Amino acid sequence: MKLVPPDQGMLYYIIENKRPDLAKKIKQTGIIETVVVGLGGQGTRHAELMQQYGTTITAGIAPGRGGTRLLETIPVYDTISECLKEHPNIAVASIWRHYSTAKDATIDVIEADIPVVILISEGIPLKDVRDILVAARKHKTVLIGGNTPGVIFPPEGIKAGMLPDVFYPEEVSPEAFGPKGVTIISRSGAILYHLSDALASVGIAQNAVIGVGGDGAIGSTFRDLVPLAMAYKNTDLVVVAGEIGGCQEELLADDIKKNPKKYPKPLVALISGAHAPEGKTMGHAGAIVSPGQVYGTFQSKKTALQNAGVPVVNSQYDLITEVQKRLVKKTYFDVENYYKKMKTIWDAPFKKPGWGTLVTKVMPNNLMISGYSLQDIVEKKGFLETAYLLVKGEFPDKKILEEMRKIAVDAAQRPIPKVTRMKNEDISKTLVKYFVLDEELAKFPEAGTEGAVKKTIFCLGRVARYLSGILDTEKALERSSGNEPFSHVIYRAVTGNPTVNEQQSRMIEAMIVACVDHGVTPPSAQATLIAASTRAPFEVAVAQGVGAITDVHGGAGAKAAALFNECIRKSEKENIDIAQATREIMRTYVEEGKRIEGLGHRLHTKDPRRDVLWALSAQTGVAGEHVQLSKIVSTIFEQVRGMSLPINVDGVIGAIVADMKLDPSMAKAFFIYGRIAGLSAHYFEEVASQPRMRQINFTEAVYKGKGPRSIP
Amino acid sequence: MKLYEYEAKKVFQTMGIPTPKQYGVIHSPNELDAIPMEFPVMLKSMVLVGGRGKAGGIKKAKNREEAKRIATELFKLVIKGFPVECILLEEVVEEAGACYIGITMDPATFNNVVIVSASGGVDIEQVAVEKPEAIIKRELPDNAKELSKNLTRELAAFLAAQLKNKKDITGSLADIIAQVYATYQRFDARLCEINPLIITPTGAVAADAKLVLDDNALFRQVELLEMLGITEKRHDVAERTKNELRAQSAGFPYIDLLPETFTKDPKKLYVGLIPGGAGYGIFSIDEVATIGNRYFHDRVVPVNFMDSGGGPPQNRVAEMFHLLMDYPVVDLIVTSRFGGISSCDIFIRGMVQAVKERYESGKRMVPIYGRMVGTDLPSARTFLERAKLENPEALRYVTIYVGNQRIMADVIREGIQKALESKGWKP
Repeated sequence: MKLVPPDQGMLYYIIENKRPDLAKKIKQTGIIETVVVGLGGQGTRHAELMQQYGTTITAGIAPGRGGTRLLETIPVYDTISECLKEHPNIAVASIWRHYSTAKDATIDVIEADIPVVILISEGIPLKDVRDILVAARKHKTVLIGGNTPGVIFPPEGIKAGMLPDVFYPEEVSPEAFGPKGVTIISRSGAILYHLSDALASVGIAQNAVIGVGGDGAIGSTFRDLVPLAMAYKNTDLVVVAGEIGGCQEELLADDIKKNPKKYPKPLVALISGAHAPEGKTMGHAGAIVSPGQVYGTFQSKKTALQNAGVPVVNSQYDLITEVQKRLVKKTYFDVENYYKKMKTIWDAPFKKPGWGTLVTKVMPNNLMISGYSLQDIVEKKGFLETAYLLVKGEFPDKKILEEMRKIAVDAAQRPIPKVTRMKNEDISKTLVKYFVLDEELAKFPEAGTEGAVKKTIFCLGRVARYLSGILDTEKALERSSGNEPFSHVIYRAVTGNPTVNEQQSRMIEAMIVACVDHGVTPPSAQATLIAASTRAPFEVAVAQGVGAITDVHGGAGAKAAALFNECIRKSEKENIDIAQATREIMRTYVEEGKRIEGLGHRLHTKDPRRDVLWALSAQTGVAGEHVQLSKIVSTIFEQVRGMSLPINVDGVIGAIVADMKLDPSMAKAFFIYGRIAGLSAHYFEEVASQPRMRQINFTEAVYKGKGPRSIP
Repeated sequence: MKLYEYEAKKVFQTMGIPTPKQYGVIHSPNELDAIPMEFPVMLKSMVLVGGRGKAGGIKKAKNREEAKRIATELFKLVIKGFPVECILLEEVVEEAGACYIGITMDPATFNNVVIVSASGGVDIEQVAVEKPEAIIKRELPDNAKELSKNLTRELAAFLAAQLKNKKDITGSLADIIAQVYATYQRFDARLCEINPLIITPTGAVAADAKLVLDDNALFRQVELLEMLGITEKRHDVAERTKNELRAQSAGFPYIDLLPETFTKDPKKLYVGLIPGGAGYGIFSIDEVATIGNRYFHDRVVPVNFMDSGGGPPQNRVAEMFHLLMDYPVVDLIVTSRFGGISSCDIFIRGMVQAVKERYESGKRMVPIYGRMVGTDLPSARTFLERAKLENPEALRYVTIYVGNQRIMADVIREGIQKALESKGWKP
């Protein structure tokens, strides 16, 4: 169904009345932006429900949680003023803070001149409410609540608060909703649904439903809101739902008598409490505020309103009758059709809760980091830019990139803890040792808006240094001027060569970038995420991911390199062609039941990283026999085994490493190195956007980041 | 939360508002012997309700013997449903004039109002009607922490002019007005009142003190409550029924509509309500009464108010059903769950839990008729369907409509009709 555009609904009308300039901006954007203040369990949960209903939630406010994200995608700020710097068009605030802290949060929002403030918080001390009211009067804020269930505007599909999505708007065609209907204004939340139900059962739509709030002092009362609703052109009738206690109904009746022009449309009042036991009234002073007048009882309200010409009802049946009478049996939609639609909502199967990541979208034969395809990134971007993209969702500009390079190069210059590597120790284990012992890395700050990405970059610099420690190439590293590209630093660490070979350096960096991320499901990412959910320190969480990169996961490159090497040596030794040698070796492997590594992938039939690496190996001139073999190995395997398994990224990297005459274990080192950038990104995303100690169902993750885009 | 007079006076003392000398507070006539005092003495019944004087709850005693006799009588008194449980023994003050000072929040504008009147010691409402010129009312739209000097002077001068005291008491009256307001603001009061403030030859004294605290702010008035020795929230209601006490300890608002001792009319159907939030809690009483009156010859009696909204946990939901099923009066339970803040799922689990427990332990079962719509409905529905398959006997008399095809009034009407039919009555 097509909704009514926001700038034609009642909420817009209210905003336009209070802040014409803001209304103009809303007209341009076509969006009414809402901020959620207070992100405890309730606020977070209802933020999601509001968003699902259609409310545009632009930001969240929670002190101490600035820089994190609400519902994985919505930025969170410490204060409303910081928030408005980024999102100046916010027009609605819904406040969910605890009653003990609601006052300051609400006054901040009011003083920031947000025109519509929905105060959900319940049980705020009256003295605090009075302070809030003083501020709201001064800033001409439309303050609804406290203790309101909220407001909902069904034609526009916008709500702020906790009202369920049951209120139904006018239908102007089978495809489109219209803005007209009855506005319900109520003191109670629970009763609202029953009024809506009663009216819908005879085809009467609601164009707005407002809960005024149940606390002892509230921002807007019937006397404020009924005239406002009636002034909106698409409201045909107003229903007020009052109850015993207080004096709102009597004051409304009084105002109707005094200012009838403010009440040009039909009004029906439902008052509940006719059969309630008489409540205890408060002390004397309260009662003499309106001398000689009794208020607060069912009878006082009924009499006052009837004397002002307002029909008063006390049951669903009578409400239907009175409203129908005043609307002359007008209907706004087909009732059977409405029930059918409601039934589809009720019958909808239970929606599995998904959770979101903005980092990498993993699809068969396609990997996209923040919307950019990984093969394009490998081709056009360096490691630091890619790491920056992973953490921040955008590439850095030149200036920032230079800042990042300095951080990384500086990190690579600093000494590393002494670590000994046992014979045949998996390189991932050696790296874990460095991670947990490295105080430089632990000390590097990660707070602040740029903390996450800076720490990631610093970490990548440290890993270059760890590698030089493992490969005993520290001398080559120390000869770096500090002004060279970071890829040169990596080259020095990996090769131990004090003179940088530009082509080889480029190739190494490309292989590393090809491995940066594969979403949240690889075991390494899972390990890091679980650690992150417990808020383990960065280096511990990343080390856990690194530790999970074993021969089983991520170790295929080194084995593939060894296999290719073996095949080529055999062909040289026996003077047979490489294909023949490979066939023979594979047959032996198959007979011995050994795995042939570098082939097959659980998702990709054509690994997206394959062609770009092959092309680069040709461009940089490093491609040799091994790369050649890697291009035909899949066909040979099919000839031997009778089944098709495509070469994967590990196989390609293994071949290139072998052609570059690097230690085969470097294939795995590159994989780990690249993946550390991805693990960092997942770590910081988890910390910023998810509750602590959550139960992570990895297969339920949904990519919620940027759509496809190309690198300019 | 209302404070007793002697407690309010303690607060006044800390704020520098003069009060008569308190000799002590007793809980039985015998305690009187140990208290040193000068006679004559005032004996004041401490109850949390107005009109004590008229009800004979305040007496003067000339000597200890008379005091003891009066105390014994006062302890037998029940004032507007409140039994006298303690008595304040206080100095008698010599009266040369009396006035009224009160601060509260205007229920129409939510501003603080200061009210003073030179006609103290009488019903202030009566003064407002009969002699409005004797009252000054000032509304304070800024919620200031303190009253301005100008205003306190103005109000004090008004009082002093009418009291026509020999000595100029404007200054001390202004101080008291300022302190009453400061007390009101500092202790998060809903009402702070002195009636009467007695003008003695030596100065003004608060002969009575009324202080009602804002329940919402009790959490931050720890020091005050500690000073008064109040450890738990006081309920300003007369005497609570067994059901009400049980609901209170389970953590949900509940009020019996019928007297505690009560004989069922065998011709009538008694309906218990588990209706959702407070608003529908009130409205559903009306609905049941109206429907009974209109369609069932006034033979239907709603028995309770309950606020079952706000997302109660499963065990509390179960307790709501247990309470009404343990209440022998109830013939039918009508329930409505409109899950906004609260989840239909948790609600239905709580209901099924209670019904199963009762069925398995052979406790009294009452038919349930109701409806649920809103948050978590699909899972709630799945759960209920499975529960009905697994426990067909236990859930035999549970009818819950899912969705809003039937409005609640129709569900109530149908439930009552079925319940009456099952009793063999023709509607």
